[in-house]
Amino acid sequence: MGRLLTLGILGALSCGALATPAWAQTGSITGTITTTATGLAPVRVTIDQKVCGNELPDHAVVVDAQGRLANAVVVLVGVKGAAAAEATITNDQCAFAPRVQIMRPNGNVKTTSNDPVLHTTNAQLANGRTLFNVALPIPGLTITKPIGAAGTVRLGCNTHPWMRGWVIVTDQAAAVTGADGRFTIDHVPPGTYELRIWHESLKSAPRKITVTAGPPADLSITMK
Amino acid sequence: MILFVLAAVLAVSSPALANQQPGAGAPTTIPEMWGAWCARCHADDGSGKVKEPTITVEPMDFTDCRVTSPEPDADWERAIAKGGPGVGLSSEMPAFEDSLSPEQISGFVAHMRGFCKEAGWPSGNNNFPRPLITGKAFPENEFVLVPAVSHESEPHSASATDVSLVAVYERRVGRRFMYEVAVPFYNWDFQTERDSEIGDVAVAVKYAAYASSTTPRIVSFGVEATLPTGQLYKEFGKGTVVFEPFVAAGTMLSGWYVQAAGKVELPVDTRVDRAYLYNLYLGRDTSAAPNTWTLGVELNGENRELWITPQVRKGLTGTGALAASLGVSIPVKYRGEKVVSWVGYLLWEYLEPFRAAR
Repeated sequence: MGRLLTLGILGALSCGALATPAWAQTGSITGTITTTATGLAPVRVTIDQKVCGNELPDHAVVVDAQGRLANAVVVLVGVKGAAAAEATITNDQCAFAPRVQIMRPNGNVKTTSNDPVLHTTNAQLANGRTLFNVALPIPGLTITKPIGAAGTVRLGCNTHPWMRGWVIVTDQAAAVTGADGRFTIDHVPPGTYELRIWHESLKSAPRKITVTAGPPADLSITMK
Repeated sequence: MILFVLAAVLAVSSPALANQQPGAGAPTTIPEMWGAWCARCHADDGSGKVKEPTITVEPMDFTDCRVTSPEPDADWERAIAKGGPGVGLSSEMPAFEDSLSPEQISGFVAHMRGFCKEAGWPSGNNNFPRPLITGKAFPENEFVLVPAVSHESEPHSASATDVSLVAVYERRVGRRFMYEVAVPFYNWDFQTERDSEIGDVAVAVKYAAYASSTTPRIVSFGVEATLPTGQLYKEFGKGTVVFEPFVAAGTMLSGWYVQAAGKVELPVDTRVDRAYLYNLYLGRDTSAAPNTWTLGVELNGENRELWITPQVRKGLTGTGALAASLGVSIPVKYRGEKVVSWVGYLLWEYLEPFRAAR
């Protein structure tokens, strides 16, 4: 009886040692998004110059000297994502920070202000329908609103019309490019997927990519 | 004026703002907050005319008393708390319910009422939902279609369905006067065939003699003249001019609308009988939205006859500028002789915004 028990334990240990953890069977995608577009001229500020300054950079296109594009969103269709359930929007020096972010559906959006002027956070869908429009008359106030399964949400401010922000609400795996144009999506099961690329003012066609359990392929994507 | 002064001294007291330490120069009174926040779009004087607008929809002109006076405080408070969509208006107006206390919102409404510099406009707090039959005391700019259908079935004769449609045009004149023209159309069974005719056209003037600015309470007087344009022998008209002095009043009791009206029909031809009409309405909104459902019931009397008219009213647009009502008049006395009538109206407040501009 004791011998059988010992064999059983050894068998269980050897099976455990040979099994590959689920996370080790996944792959990653990474890459750089570039553009031939150039940065935009600064925006002339017409009100609240004491807080906002006389002009502000237009972050509709943020691109570095090598053409690497920030604030683009890559979405891997068919892979469940792990985006945050909450997004925080900060009205800071008359701009939304961050300009672009992703979050899961049915979470909350928190909006706050650092500026001593009236801001509004007006969240609209692509069809123009307003999800909410809340006033932030004083700095430090934080207002929380549910977002539902909105999709692409455009943020605006009705007192500072140049202000623009975006919340991409998706349950798919997604990433936002940083200032160096880079993005990474980890923990992708091997397979072939559609990769969609979104940017507020540039476009790029969706593409098929194959993910393996090996080292990630380094993608190079150009937006126009 | 007292309200304005109260508003001016309202301190920052909302839960949202109470924890904030206003920086140097931060607004602390309602007029200062108006200047710092609201004037961006609505202008310091409330006219809505600013040098460099940051919104696409031009705001209402709050200095125009015709615009500011007819709507109740509750609608203005809702617009500030919920933003424009809360009252069917533009989403460019943001919601302040997370940043202002109810007291501060009331203070803003009092401040906005002050942009109308002319005294004597009846407060919109006296502007109650229109009942189906009871005359309304508040002067209105409305076009109303009032259909009615009744069906009579008697054992000794063929059944008969009577249909009427009254088109009513109401127009305010000055601050407290209103005139009205009503044209009735009838489609009745006359002897063996159906006949359609215009009935007696009525014209009326009304004057809001008393309207409280603090407590909802209003009394109006007026006189209506019915002209013999309908054919007497077919019973489409009375065949004589009829003068009808009337009084209408309204108030609110514990959230219930109470409206009453009385009228005497005085025919010029003394062979036609006088009639005494009296109506009482009781109703209640089911929510604070301008397009809410309103449930009500009326008692409608004419001489010794009495009907009860349960009814429901609903705003058809977010602003409530288009509304409909439906009810049924059931005889309380002389049940065997009188018939049940379905009554309704479709109402258009033609000077109010129909729906939100984008």
